[in-house]
Amino acid sequence: MRSTFHGLETAKRSLFTQQTALHTTGHNIANANTVGYSRQVVNMVASRPMEAVGMSRSQVPGQLGTGVEFSSITRIRERFLDDQYRNENKSLGSWTIQKDTLEKLEAIMNEPSETGLRSVIDNFWKAWSDLSKDPENITSRKIVRETAIALADAFNLTAKQLNDLSNDLTENIAVKTTEINSIVSAIANLNWQIQRLEGLGNNANDLRDQRDLLTDQLSRIVNITVQETPQGYTINMGNINLVDGQQAAVLTADALEDAFASGDLNSGEIYGLIVSRDRYVADYKNQLDQMANAIANGPVTITIPAGTVLPEGTVLNGITYTGANRTLTSDLTVTVNGLNGLHRLGYTLESPLSAGVDFFTAKPGYSTITAESFQLNPVIANDPTKIATSMRTEGTGADERVIKGNNQLALLISQLRETPFTFTGPGSVISSGTIDDYFRSVVGQLGVQAQEANRQADNQQIILNQVEMRRQSVSSVSLDEEMANLIRFQHAYNAAARNMTAIDEMLDRIINGMGIVGR
Amino acid sequence: MTLRITQGMMNIQLIRNLNNNLARIDNRQNQLATGRKINRPSDDPVGITYSLRYRSELTINAQYQRNLDMALTWLDFTDSMLNEAGNILHRAYELAIRGSNGTNPPEALYAIKQEIDELYAQMVEVANSQLNGKYVFNGQKTDVKPYDAANAAQAVTDSYQIQFEVIQGVLVPINLTGNDVFGAPNDPMNTFQILKDLSNALGNNNHTAVKNLSEKIQQRMDAILAFRSEIGARVNRVELIESRLKDMNVHLNSLQAKTEDADMAELITKLKMDENVYNASLAVGARVITPSLVDFLK
Repeated sequence: MRSTFHGLETAKRSLFTQQTALHTTGHNIANANTVGYSRQVVNMVASRPMEAVGMSRSQVPGQLGTGVEFSSITRIRERFLDDQYRNENKSLGSWTIQKDTLEKLEAIMNEPSETGLRSVIDNFWKAWSDLSKDPENITSRKIVRETAIALADAFNLTAKQLNDLSNDLTENIAVKTTEINSIVSAIANLNWQIQRLEGLGNNANDLRDQRDLLTDQLSRIVNITVQETPQGYTINMGNINLVDGQQAAVLTADALEDAFASGDLNSGEIYGLIVSRDRYVADYKNQLDQMANAIANGPVTITIPAGTVLPEGTVLNGITYTGANRTLTSDLTVTVNGLNGLHRLGYTLESPLSAGVDFFTAKPGYSTITAESFQLNPVIANDPTKIATSMRTEGTGADERVIKGNNQLALLISQLRETPFTFTGPGSVISSGTIDDYFRSVVGQLGVQAQEANRQADNQQIILNQVEMRRQSVSSVSLDEEMANLIRFQHAYNAAARNMTAIDEMLDRIINGMGIVGR
Repeated sequence: MTLRITQGMMNIQLIRNLNNNLARIDNRQNQLATGRKINRPSDDPVGITYSLRYRSELTINAQYQRNLDMALTWLDFTDSMLNEAGNILHRAYELAIRGSNGTNPPEALYAIKQEIDELYAQMVEVANSQLNGKYVFNGQKTDVKPYDAANAAQAVTDSYQIQFEVIQGVLVPINLTGNDVFGAPNDPMNTFQILKDLSNALGNNNHTAVKNLSEKIQQRMDAILAFRSEIGARVNRVELIESRLKDMNVHLNSLQAKTEDADMAELITKLKMDENVYNASLAVGARVITPSLVDFLK
């Protein structure tokens, strides 16, 4: 048996439900531009009909409806797209960082230009060629000295820039680690809040949006897998757990480097940073070291013409040259150790006779010549007369004097430009070639790597955009749609109110208008 | 299911497209401004290795050009010195011919002898001539004065050549050694010995000796002429190399341009196209972004 006021209750429920829907629409419109927000819908269901099956049910035919109620307010979102998004996001993070680093390396190499390392090396050989035309001239010697200093400066500067870049990358890893820690603890906190709220039977839609947004951000930084459990999101990086319910891991930069080594960390920005530092920057630094070392000490085969008088005690091809056999009677082809080895075979213009010294040396505190430690021998830097050009002497014993007009050594050194060196160091980009060849190969390799990183980053961006579009298509707020809903719910609300008025009038009729017949 | 499109998506898409279009315009403008299509190694990794090679070769060719100029200076200087030596011998020959005539009185012979002595001194000066402060006829001992006026006939000059690298791997000797040009010590044909003997013969009124010596002068003149033609041959060789170097430069420049230089006509056309696309995307954006259902509800 239905109640007298049944209709009022039905109308009231309708008013409340439509109002909720209107409020939710308002919430959606308000958040149309909120990052990470997914639109929400009110799930309306017809409320339970009057009478359930039972002994005391009335015998009135027909089930009378009792109006509407909402079972839940849910957000519209697809888990699958989230997973896809995070999967692509990590690769984008990794490639973007690598692309940035390689762009910086391109800027450091500064090619093609007329001011890069290549031009400085060219100038150095040119100065020797000029000196070979005028070996007696002190001015030409000074120019050789200046270009040698410029060469050393260029190597030092480039090495310093590479070191700075490497340090920057290390610092970035630390910054990103802090970012991970704060995101991870925020997610753990949200896990707790969501669990509490949902325990009461509600959907914590907005908190879930926040958690997903944070997870998206985390997926850019490291590779993660996300599992939803009753305790919230469980997030792992490889085999390393980052979030488990309310527990958040605290990571350190060292721990991440270990994870990189063990393979648990295999994508994302931090992976990109470590790869950039340990693979690209370290490699280019090594290549420059090889080049610097080869110029100074790299084995190179030259031919010394007959008539040359080698300095006393020179050992070439296992033969010690001393006394009368110092004067070569025929051309001698030997392998010497770079510019230093060659420079030692000649004489400066000084009297008494003095042989050349090492041309390039390592700075104090360094054991080997690298791009960083490369310097012009301070002896020569302080006194350009110590630059050797001549390979002939006359006289013997204490009277032995250098022949100043002999330009053989200057010629041989200027010809080193075209002579292939042997590059013995590990990881050399080529094993044999001129210094120019070597530099060109390094720049070519850099170009290929940068091009590849650019392409990968662009591709990844496009893929991510597509996934993001699909996600937006499902979840984002359409104002058109919300406006249409607004009208729909408003009309329903108005109609419910009208319905209530009708019931009211009906009751009025019963209460105030009945039983007064014939009055 | 058809894709559900929202204002936010259109907004993102529009911004992304505008950005892409701008990036393309930026790239084109960069190429136009630098005039090069390779501005960083990743623009063309293969091209850049060639480009760097061409640049290095052009630089070093400029150096070879300077070496060539210097070599020519040396050769020209040597040639003019040889010319002068030839003139001196020519004058000495004339005087010897005149002196060999038995009708000359002793006074006339004495005057001739005096001029021969002057010529001797002048010849020593030629043999000691310097270019840029360097003695050109003393091999590699450019800092040592080779001939001493008192005993020029016995002077020993350095026999080594000075070589310049004028093109990759090619060494050109640019000097002649004094002993070759003027004759070695104790050589009966030694220029200084001949002049000295001539002077003595004239002093002794020895007409026969003067006559014999005039023949020797003739032979020495021929020898010097031979050296002049050798220098001429070297100049030819150097000039040939120079023209080859210039050809190479033209070739290298055109190769470099092909590798590095942007095609302006194509670039400007493409830039114009990109500008149109960009303008269109802006116009479309202005139309698409504004309206929503809100505008049409009262």
